[in-house]
Amino acid sequence: MSGLTTAPRPRLDIPPRFRPSGVAAAALITVALVLVHWYAAVQTNTSPKELLEGWRGLWSFLFGVDRTYPNGKTIHQDGAFPLDLRWAETIRPGLEYCLLTIWIGLLGTTLSIPVALFFAVISSRTTNRFVPLWFLGRGVMSVLRAVPETVYALMFIAAVGFGAFPGVIALAIHNVAVMGKLWSEAMDEVDQGPVEALRVAGASPTQSAAHAVLPAVMPSLLGLLLYRFDTNVRSSVILGTVGAGGIGFFIKTEVDSFHFDTMMTYVCMVIVLIIVIDLFSAWLRRKVGTV
Amino acid sequence: MSEHAATLSIEGLRKAFGEKTVLDGLSFQVASGEVVSLLGANGSGKSTSLRCVVGLERPDAGTITVGGVTAKPGEAVPEVAMVFQKIHLVPRRSVLDNVCAGALGRLGLSRSWSVLAFPREVQAEAMACLDRVGLADRAREKAGRLSGGQQQRVAVARALCQRAKVLLADEPVSALDPAASEQVMNLLRSLADDDGLAVAAVLHQPDLARRFSDRILGLAGGRLVFDSSAEVTDEAVADLYRPALEAAASMASTGTATKEFA
Repeated sequence: MSGLTTAPRPRLDIPPRFRPSGVAAAALITVALVLVHWYAAVQTNTSPKELLEGWRGLWSFLFGVDRTYPNGKTIHQDGAFPLDLRWAETIRPGLEYCLLTIWIGLLGTTLSIPVALFFAVISSRTTNRFVPLWFLGRGVMSVLRAVPETVYALMFIAAVGFGAFPGVIALAIHNVAVMGKLWSEAMDEVDQGPVEALRVAGASPTQSAAHAVLPAVMPSLLGLLLYRFDTNVRSSVILGTVGAGGIGFFIKTEVDSFHFDTMMTYVCMVIVLIIVIDLFSAWLRRKVGTV
Repeated sequence: MSEHAATLSIEGLRKAFGEKTVLDGLSFQVASGEVVSLLGANGSGKSTSLRCVVGLERPDAGTITVGGVTAKPGEAVPEVAMVFQKIHLVPRRSVLDNVCAGALGRLGLSRSWSVLAFPREVQAEAMACLDRVGLADRAREKAGRLSGGQQQRVAVARALCQRAKVLLADEPVSALDPAASEQVMNLLRSLADDDGLAVAAVLHQPDLARRFSDRILGLAGGRLVFDSSAEVTDEAVADLYRPALEAAASMASTGTATKEFA
């Protein structure tokens, strides 16, 4: 074969990029999407007018307002700014509440590890080829995952009362389902070669899980664990607002007593807390990835 | 060495994946102390036949006998071990732990739930197997740090730790450089000569097959087309690959892909 040739190549028709049926379908989908969103906007009173009327309320929330009562007295209601920066009354307790939020997220993540691992192993095709058990594992995790953490927290608060402990239990249960699913997917994607090699050597499914799958996926599992810790600290802020302890609980009580400046201080602390946890978890995940 | 009793005997093996027949009544024997090479183009059924023997594939018909005992289709046979082209060690585990894993089939879960539970006698046996392949000094290194040829020898040690009588090798040297290939093939030869293993290897290198095996089996379309001692004519080998080569040539000249390539 010669490397270069001057002979002209044959001219071929270029296949069309769009077919008429495809164009019609795209138009139909666009119209349907617009209609659905219009209906949703009507149902939720979402309109530019509402936004303008809400603006006045937002302004008094942020910067305070003078309220004149029927008896002629005028009282100044403080807004969110300037922030409440008193050390002993606000910031020091705020830091303690933040730490409590971290402890809730940490325990909620760690306590779920054994059960999540069990569900991950029975829900992955690589480690469990007994179909009924596989379905059971997936099913239980779907049901547990369908209930939000907040709802679990409300249930456990009803059972044992306000406090950090119901928050820990709520996070742990939800995390079993979410982390179990993430872990089982990581195991599904593992290289099947070593699994096959151990099967030839006569290993049982449990043995090949312990000696081929787990060593291969351990870095992914650790990475996902750190990611869930990150997410669970965020969730524990929300759980606090329904009464499960931590900084969220105090954001809620300050709002309820119209201390918007203290509340906004706590919100700023949450922002810093979440960013720090996020950076820490990302840094640790990079470290784990290079082991 | 064909006067020995056949350690591995395959009789009328059939296997189809959907419409495609991969094994079409394949029969062959491998005796103790014998190295048998399987040659053939891609899709001729070499690998599938080995995978049927170790239970990774379930044959549609045919019988597999190992040491006179009929194997259950789709199940592992304790006496048969396999090494792979992609080696399939666990790279993060130590060399020794990888070799110990060959013994999993005869260990209960209480003695194998973790590498920490492996009994001392199993670890000692694994060290002996590593010594047999010349890598005892690398026992505590991570398997992933070894070269390809060394990893393949660790895989052979894992097969020995399984106490296999039959060693199947699926393209054991295809990913290795010539020097490492030579070493691995010498090892397989010596396992047959000195340890009496029955070795069957899928190869893509006719010259390696000629130099290291007692018999060469030629496969095409899932059937045996020749079974002869290592002196196989070049023409017989060329015939095995001719249909595939012709298909490739016609693809190159006309620019049209053919689905019947394999």
